Amino acid sequence: MSNDDETPKADGGTASQSETVEDGRSEEHPLEWDEPENNDKAPDERDSVSHRTEKYDDRKLVTGQAKYTADYEERYPDLAYAAVVRSDIPHGHVTDIDTSAAEAMDGVDAVLTPESDAVPDTKYTSAGQSYPEPSPWDMHVLNKHVRYIGDPIAAVAAEDRATATAAVEAIEVSYEEYDYVTDPEDAFDEDAPQLFEGSEVENEIVGHDYDCNRMAHIGGELGDVDAALDGHTHVHETEWETIRQSHANVEKHTSLAYTNEDDRHVLITSTQVPNHTRRQLAHLFDIPIRDIRVTKPRVGGGFGGKQAMVVEPIPLALSLATDRPVLYEASREEEFYAMRSRHPMKVKARTAVTDDGDIEAIDIYALSNTGAYGSHGMTVAGNVGSKPMPLYSKVPNARFEADIVHTNTPQTGAMRGYGAPQGTLALEGHLDEVARDLGLDPIEFRRRHHMEVGDLDEIAGMMGGEGANRRIRSCGLDECIERGKDAIGYDDLEQPDEDHLHRGIGMALSAQGTGVAGDELGAAQIMMNEDGSFHLQVGGVDIGTGADTAFLQIAAEVLGCDEDDIIVKSSDTDVTPFDYGAYASSTTYISGMAVKKAAEDAKARILDWGAKLLDEPVGDLETGDGTVYSETSGDSVTLEDIGYEAAYGDDEREHILGKGTHCTEESPPPFAAQFADVTVDETTGEFEVHKLVVAVDCGVAINPGMAEGQIEGANHMSYEMAVSDGITLDEKGRAEVADFDEYGLPSATETPPIESILVETHEPTGPFGAKSVAEVPTNTVPPALSNAVRDAVGVRIREMPITAEKIKTKLDERET
Amino acid sequence: MEIELEINDVERTVEASKSDSLLDVLRRNGYTGAKRGCDTGACGFCTVHVDGEPVKSCVEPVTKVRDASVRTIEGLGEQDDLHPVQQAFVDNTALQCGFCIPGMIMRSTALLETNPNPTEQEVREALSDNLCRCTGYKKIVEAVLDAAERMNSDTAVAADGGQAVDGDGGAGAGTECSLGGCDCMEGDQ
Repeated sequence: MSNDDETPKADGGTASQSETVEDGRSEEHPLEWDEPENNDKAPDERDSVSHRTEKYDDRKLVTGQAKYTADYEERYPDLAYAAVVRSDIPHGHVTDIDTSAAEAMDGVDAVLTPESDAVPDTKYTSAGQSYPEPSPWDMHVLNKHVRYIGDPIAAVAAEDRATATAAVEAIEVSYEEYDYVTDPEDAFDEDAPQLFEGSEVENEIVGHDYDCNRMAHIGGELGDVDAALDGHTHVHETEWETIRQSHANVEKHTSLAYTNEDDRHVLITSTQVPNHTRRQLAHLFDIPIRDIRVTKPRVGGGFGGKQAMVVEPIPLALSLATDRPVLYEASREEEFYAMRSRHPMKVKARTAVTDDGDIEAIDIYALSNTGAYGSHGMTVAGNVGSKPMPLYSKVPNARFEADIVHTNTPQTGAMRGYGAPQGTLALEGHLDEVARDLGLDPIEFRRRHHMEVGDLDEIAGMMGGEGANRRIRSCGLDECIERGKDAIGYDDLEQPDEDHLHRGIGMALSAQGTGVAGDELGAAQIMMNEDGSFHLQVGGVDIGTGADTAFLQIAAEVLGCDEDDIIVKSSDTDVTPFDYGAYASSTTYISGMAVKKAAEDAKARILDWGAKLLDEPVGDLETGDGTVYSETSGDSVTLEDIGYEAAYGDDEREHILGKGTHCTEESPPPFAAQFADVTVDETTGEFEVHKLVVAVDCGVAINPGMAEGQIEGANHMSYEMAVSDGITLDEKGRAEVADFDEYGLPSATETPPIESILVETHEPTGPFGAKSVAEVPTNTVPPALSNAVRDAVGVRIREMPITAEKIKTKLDERET
Repeated sequence: MEIELEINDVERTVEASKSDSLLDVLRRNGYTGAKRGCDTGACGFCTVHVDGEPVKSCVEPVTKVRDASVRTIEGLGEQDDLHPVQQAFVDNTALQCGFCIPGMIMRSTALLETNPNPTEQEVREALSDNLCRCTGYKKIVEAVLDAAERMNSDTAVAADGGQAVDGDGGAGAGTECSLGGCDCMEGDQ
């Protein structure tokens, strides 16, 4: 199977070649949206939405009663524990695996190698994406050809953790070592050590050229960028570099597999994508999809790191081999070297600007290091362009290209922001530099070009994807900028008294998407109980964000019931309707709209029963306060009365059920304006970040407290990208980080004050006006901080992280 | 070997091997609120109290807690009767995935027992060994400051001879504890 000749409808939309925007788009994407009346409620009419409803799982979480995957351990007395043998070398062929000592150990149940019957030799991608997957099938569950220090080679199941670990240590692996390459620029060369023969990869991606380690090349153009660059005097070019960031999920990748009494293969697993995982396991193990059950308990954070089937095949293979339940809990060290990370990139930005300060062209190129395998490689790179560039929708000429290159380094994958942080650093840093060079105010410069309501997003459209030519129907950017300026004190910044200290403010804008346009599906079902309560079954995946609570609020708003009268059951592929999973900022928008539709479907049946009991026409009835009431007579009947009557009535009976399924071509962008206030010591380069302010337009915040939490957490993660080293690698590509002690996750004392501001707009395509929130504030701190340092002391740091040493070096260079 | 210790005011004799950490033993005996994040004492998710002091249980050899009094998150409040710190975390939307939260709450209760009126900076310093990936700490710090206020007002009422009253968002969960709403929620009848 090959995607060569197709336009992959990838996350964010990327295409093999540029497409011109067809005539008639404006008719396909009208500004007016046929919005149901009930979707646009004034703030004082909202009974549940927009309230700071207590998070559904909070009481269990604060009392330690909530169950994450590893907490199911005690339910399975027969449980075996898994551990994995991983490659010690960056590149080579496994010539021998001596398992004899391990197999002879007491308490060892199984040792699996690539040759074992229970281990699939099918190729696959770990990326948890839609189907056909826009990632190459270049992986094996266990490997003979190893491509990075960390590649899995063998797996063990044993009575306890210590025995499993000891067995892994007792396995001797012999290798034939190959040349290796860890730098992406070195790798992108026909003479470089080659990671893959082209024939080794199935489902190859557009633009692949494995002779020079390129897994994909993508791009698109709007207008004529070269002509614009030729015709203007002010052509700027800058280059930026980002870190290899770890998701640092607090809960490690954990998965428990067993086959139950009904011959069903069950996985309790820490995942963002239960349905995709089920499909991928079926592919790997040649088991029908229907015979696999993937269920997600509480999840300790995902951030994209669990938008992948990273560990599940190993406990399933071991469970099939031993006929026992098997738990695999990655170690913290494995989290840093053998799971996934953010793609490190080098991004070049070029612009052509007129004397009047009009941007005529933006040109961005990214070189992305996908590491040893290609999961999410093409789609993440596509988002480097397709997320930040559309912000400047007034720019007539735009081009984006990217090369995605393999190296013998740890695997990368999806991570919150999904390419947008890398692109936002380049574009927002670049525009700041251009504005300062031309003597323009950086904010006013952006304001002249940024997106506004009514725009057709042709820039995202230039990279393909059916829904990518978005019509912008909500945009709070101006208010984000104004309120952010006020909060940071933009217009009355006081300089420190000391001559060697300089204070500056930097800002950056950002846009994201809300789901993958034209490539999402969410579904939900609501069942009414006879006491007037409801079961909400939804495929949407709460990975700690509070999605279950948002679903509950949306359902309660429609049903007019108390929030406590809804029981949420989510993410169990045997029970809950289908869902693509928690990624691409889609959950509230896509799965939430499915919940709304299910609730409306149930409500129609409830009103019908209400009409019967009240003997009034349906058109006069409404739900609220746990009743159906008549807007004309004022009479009412409780949902409980309706529930009992529907279940046990004399003449006629019905189980009141509501179903909703939602997909859309839309993906409205949320917006953010980020500000950073910094003081730099010009003698040392040391700097102190006084405050981060980020104002976000997420449409209507379904739960403002949870939305603020998403923004604050995203900004913390973004700050880490600006000031931390991430996962550094040695010369052989071995991760130098094995523990939190060695990883720069900012602690409570190391995190500057973060002020989040919700700028409410109304997005007519989203449930009750909502669009996404959780990714867009991840993109903005690196450029804002780089711009703030530039503002304070006049030097520019383009290579993340920003350090005192780099600032000092630049200051010294300036003096000489 | 067998280890005798008190867990949440209950005398227990537990099976353990020499190499077990306190976390191993707690989790094996059903106290799974303490989470395993690193096994090296670097994340704080496994924080419990040992004789009133916050301890990272993953690096605490179980042999060191013989006859000690251990309190875990399960020994703080109940879902329908939360400790004021737990209640403040809920009311301030201070948690998202919740995996770091049991450790964070045990660390916070220990702080408030020794320092009932911490400044924001003191809260941040006390929590600096407990990592969080979701929140950026802002609402967590606010929750701890809010909890301090609730517990102080409860104390003031109780010392006044009156009944503690439900404050905002059910702060009265700590009414049984008249001396700062600390860890004496159970077994004090």
